[in-house]
Amino acid sequence: MTDSLLHIENITVRFGGIVALNEVSLDVARGSIQAVIGPNGAGKSTMLNVISGLYSVDGGAVTFDGQRIDRRAPHAIGRMGVARTFQNTELFGEMSAIENVMVGLDRHHPYKFAIAMAHGPSYRRSEIAARREAHELLALVGIADDAPAAASTLPFGKQRRLEIARALATRPKLLLLDEPAAGLRAAEIESLNLMLLNLRSAQGLTILIIDHVMALVMTISDRISVLNFGRKIAEGEPGEVRTAPEVIRAYLGEKGAHALRP
Amino acid sequence: MIPRVAFWVVGIASFIIAPQLLAEYHLFQICLIASTALVVLGLVVVTGIAGQISLAQSAFVGLGGYGSAILATRWGVPLWAGIPLSSFAVAMSGLFLGQLTLRISGHYLALATMAFTAIVQLALIHSDPVTGGAAGMPVPVFRMFGVTLTTGRHLYYVILPSTALLFLLVRNVMKSRFGRAVTAIRQSETAAEAMGLDVLRYKAIAFAASGFLGAVGGGFLGSLSTYLDPAQFGITQSVYFLAVAVVGGLSSPFGAILGSAIFIFIPDLLQSFQTYLGLVFALLLLGFIVLRPKGLTSVRLPRYDFASLRPRGQQ
Repeated sequence: MTDSLLHIENITVRFGGIVALNEVSLDVARGSIQAVIGPNGAGKSTMLNVISGLYSVDGGAVTFDGQRIDRRAPHAIGRMGVARTFQNTELFGEMSAIENVMVGLDRHHPYKFAIAMAHGPSYRRSEIAARREAHELLALVGIADDAPAAASTLPFGKQRRLEIARALATRPKLLLLDEPAAGLRAAEIESLNLMLLNLRSAQGLTILIIDHVMALVMTISDRISVLNFGRKIAEGEPGEVRTAPEVIRAYLGEKGAHALRP
Repeated sequence: MIPRVAFWVVGIASFIIAPQLLAEYHLFQICLIASTALVVLGLVVVTGIAGQISLAQSAFVGLGGYGSAILATRWGVPLWAGIPLSSFAVAMSGLFLGQLTLRISGHYLALATMAFTAIVQLALIHSDPVTGGAAGMPVPVFRMFGVTLTTGRHLYYVILPSTALLFLLVRNVMKSRFGRAVTAIRQSETAAEAMGLDVLRYKAIAFAASGFLGAVGGGFLGSLSTYLDPAQFGITQSVYFLAVAVVGGLSSPFGAILGSAIFIFIPDLLQSFQTYLGLVFALLLLGFIVLRPKGLTSVRLPRYDFASLRPRGQQ
């Protein structure tokens, strides 16, 4: 697996007596869109939190771009090129949409503290450049008109888009999306699909999506891994996974699996 | 552009005119308000903007006051150099306190900073040979360019410009990527970390800034009162500063000035009421927390549309 950007090997995460992830392995190929699906409580979000450094593992290893990241602090992992969105959105609510994106851009338009105190010439230059780039990102996700609005006042669909713009602002290699389609209408899911496909083809971004909304993952994913009760039960292309009996059993239960059997 | 120029012209003009018109007592009070506002500005930075509840402010004030006084009496460092010097040292101790305590948050952080204040106060009381112990120590006279500044009228020319400069610097930083980062951290630490911001480092910097501002304010307050008494630098005083910040508006530098003005004028207005001053402050604080949690700066007076004599925005 030389071409994999993210390599997860046999990770185990325990919360007290509960095993949230049990020796799960996963590979995300460069430039691909990969999805992890599974019923509630399968360990999907745990996996995302492990990758982004919020949880530590009780066993196994996570390698990103050739380097171990499972013992690094979240901000260090972020700086290496892993960006993420959150299931219930974690925006900076009182700040405007454009400022949210500018926080993501922080280290790409740097200037020293002394410059910030005096508002020296490079302060103006960096701020203008950051603002321009932030505007472009807002336009990319289709909410340029909402730039001055406080993030918390935006409708939910737009908050989702803003989170993606903010994540892209860090110029990531890997974008982690935590249930990006939850709470979105069908039309919104469609435009989200187009946006993600476009990001992959235009910028060569690698995307890992965690979701249980099939409409999103089935249409755009190159590969899908299925988790259930902390174990990986299936993996493959969307078509294969859809018909795998283990997956049907996990989603519909034993009886449902029988009913579907030809 | 024009309002900004007007603001500076009015500001500088009133700075020059005030000493001609006002009595010594009022100038002294203005100095007191400015120094207190600096201390409270430190709290605005660390608590209002960075979201870290700090009860260490009076310790920083005490360290700033004692530090500059000790530098002057022991090593003959003049106060104009001693105050910035000791403030830098205090900022370093703020950074250290930050590193030590910032892995904890909320009530626990408040308790830890409270312990810091208690420790500093005890250290001041028990270092008799240097600090004069429980009896306290006199603050040497402020001398600059061969001029001796003893009265409020004199110190006015040092305290007011320094305060204005520091407020300007804080405002500039707030409007920069550093201000943005710290504001973001207050609103969602998790998201800020995911954006690659080193949350602990920014929090520690906010603590250092609050220490610096508190210490400069402490140096000025020491010069104004001419005597340092360790009893002034306890936990109660930390709560007092926090109350000033809350009443003025915890997230606004301007609120620091407003709150300080109120808390310094009130004892004057209520001369005959001295015994119950604590009660008045407590009620003020409680009232603001319940009714105006964002402080005085959040109060917007209804603006009248004089043509129709109705508040604007109403049909």
